[in-house]
Amino acid sequence: MIKTVLGSESYAARVWRKTRNGVGVEVGLAWIGLLVFSAVFAPFLANSMPLLMSKDGIVSAPVLHYLSIEDAWVLASFFIVLLVYRLKLRAVQRIALFLLGAMIAAVLVNLYVSPPKLVIYDDFRSPAYTQVDWRIMPPIPYAPTDYLRDLVSKGLEAPFETTSHLHLMGTEENGADVLSRMIHACRIALSIGLIASGIALFIGVIVGGLMGYFSGIADMLGMRLVEIFEDIPTLFLLLTFVAFFGRSLYMMMVIIGITGWSGYARYVRTEFLKLRKQDYVQAAVASGLPLSSILFRHMLPNGIAPLLVAVSFGIAGAILSEATLSFLGLGVVDAPSWGQMLDQAVKSSSFNWWMAVFPGGAIFMTVFAYNLIGEAFRDAIDPKLSNDSGLE
Amino acid sequence: MLIYLLRRLLLMVPTLLGITVLVFTVMAMSPGGISAQTLVGGMDMKPQEKQALLNYYNKRYGLDKPAAMQYLHWLNNVLPIGFVMDEQGHQGEFSFSKGMDLGTSFQYGRPVADILLERIPITLLLNLVTIPVTYLIAIFVGMKSATHRGGRFDVGMGMSMLALWSIPTMLAGVLLLGFFANVQHFQWFPTSGISSREALDMPFLPHWGAMGFVRGFLLDRLWHLVLPVLCLSYGGFAALAKLTRTSILENLHSDYARTARAKGLAEHDVLWRHVFRNSLLPLITISAGLLPSLLAGSLIVEHIFSIDGMGQLAVEAVKGRDRELVLSITWVSGFLTLIGYLLADFCYTLADPRVNYD
Repeated sequence: MIKTVLGSESYAARVWRKTRNGVGVEVGLAWIGLLVFSAVFAPFLANSMPLLMSKDGIVSAPVLHYLSIEDAWVLASFFIVLLVYRLKLRAVQRIALFLLGAMIAAVLVNLYVSPPKLVIYDDFRSPAYTQVDWRIMPPIPYAPTDYLRDLVSKGLEAPFETTSHLHLMGTEENGADVLSRMIHACRIALSIGLIASGIALFIGVIVGGLMGYFSGIADMLGMRLVEIFEDIPTLFLLLTFVAFFGRSLYMMMVIIGITGWSGYARYVRTEFLKLRKQDYVQAAVASGLPLSSILFRHMLPNGIAPLLVAVSFGIAGAILSEATLSFLGLGVVDAPSWGQMLDQAVKSSSFNWWMAVFPGGAIFMTVFAYNLIGEAFRDAIDPKLSNDSGLE
Repeated sequence: MLIYLLRRLLLMVPTLLGITVLVFTVMAMSPGGISAQTLVGGMDMKPQEKQALLNYYNKRYGLDKPAAMQYLHWLNNVLPIGFVMDEQGHQGEFSFSKGMDLGTSFQYGRPVADILLERIPITLLLNLVTIPVTYLIAIFVGMKSATHRGGRFDVGMGMSMLALWSIPTMLAGVLLLGFFANVQHFQWFPTSGISSREALDMPFLPHWGAMGFVRGFLLDRLWHLVLPVLCLSYGGFAALAKLTRTSILENLHSDYARTARAKGLAEHDVLWRHVFRNSLLPLITISAGLLPSLLAGSLIVEHIFSIDGMGQLAVEAVKGRDRELVLSITWVSGFLTLIGYLLADFCYTLADPRVNYD
């Protein structure tokens, strides 16, 4: 007798397993893991102050003393994520727990962490910090905003050019170490990618969902709105937004988010147009469920798979948008960013190759990583579109 | 067909209106907004002069009025039909033939229409050269990987196309400019602009003159276009090649292709006369979406190669908060995109006679 074996694997688990089934994805995930690591531990990886030092028998950690509120919050959130990951909970509970934890951490950090207002990096190279019993320096002993005035850095020095102080990736135009700035810039790239596409996704799902569910007049009006956002080249729209509003990091996230939702709305609309005639949706309507429940608890989980692919590509797009804006000189002013460093590669007719290769390479690798993941996702979800399609 | 065309053109109107409303709202909502104050920045001006300039701007553009009124004022000037306004800004009678007035750029002090007429052809030239290049390479690569499916070429191309697609335009531009148009490495190509100054006096075609070889206007222009076009096209052909491959693969195994082979047609004919034509359809659909990304891409490319096109103008306009210029650039680029969609739909009818818009 033939025994039917029912797979106990859930849909999500199967998609994830198939997605992981390739070399490309592993490379992509590894690169993003590296970025996350650098973003979280940036102050310990590249900083001008010692991690630990012992002077006259007193052991101290200047890095912790100078840790900024943002650094502390990022660290705290990272450990909350690790904790939430270890607990056996449902996805919704995990997200809720993380948000709660992150909020509590933000409050606590704001109350208890008070770094010195003024940091003079030159001091860390003065006898007060160098003539000690022993000290442990970070792997890259330069802070991103340490312009090495006391070391007479001329700025834009090629890697290994100066013998007195070592710069693996050279220095930028103001004299700061490029590698250090790149490590700290991971934070901007990752957070912009995640939060901007989160905002875009949120708007896209709501607008697209309403359009697809109600169709008719709502659909027509919504589609006009989508067309308006699609027909202006996104970069033109972004430029207008950024130039007329502020240049802060948070503003940038919001702006990239609200200019990038039209694609998601289209996806969700098509899915919902298909789903709204399904029996289970009709049943949900007939049992008098509220609209939000029909849309988000019954329809969305069934239409979310193709959306994940779009999100993965969307994150790559958001990172690219930020880099482009910074490259055009309209980016975040006070923090290092890859695009802004790339802009310094061709300045005053001389070509500084290290300013192009390293930050540009980082942008490329990040975008490539997200695209690889998106590609693998698509192959896992829709085998018809995969590379192996078309052959019986 | 004519009715279809008219309907499409009429449908453009709400979209274009929406674009201008959106951009105007963004500008009006921004901190500082658009007021004469932000435009008159001269520190070295006497107070009277400053006041006079302020008054002039207020009167000319109605900048002291509420935003909604300003928008209507602007719209009335731009639309070919509307109220005739006199010098003092008073409303005259309704007219159907008053012509379009895009206003005067705050920054350059010149009519916006003149500036746009100067800049748009340059950007269009860049894009129109790019599109055929993109398609030729994409179709070649896609065709080869589809017919040699699973082979070394196919596998290698699949990965490298995704990699190519992920290279940011600015990185490619900076590297090309740095290595191939730089004294330190290879100075093979010009660093900026789309023609040299002396080329303007040259005859159009290259020829042998008394002074030896004269490259002529055409060759000079091509020489200047190599790097920018390379920069603009690689992202497009990477995406298109993948699409071509999928589309050809689908058709290669279709029933009609099998029938054609069974009839004894040569594989070459099956491929190019049957499969290829049917595989073109998704490529044409995509071509419409190519234009907005090309326009955006040319913004970066023009910035890197200092080409005075529309993208460069957009950056300058936005940085200078030049209301008239920003509004016109956005609606004109939206208009170009919509025309691109329309053209794509027409090409679709050419490639697939079954599609009929009547």
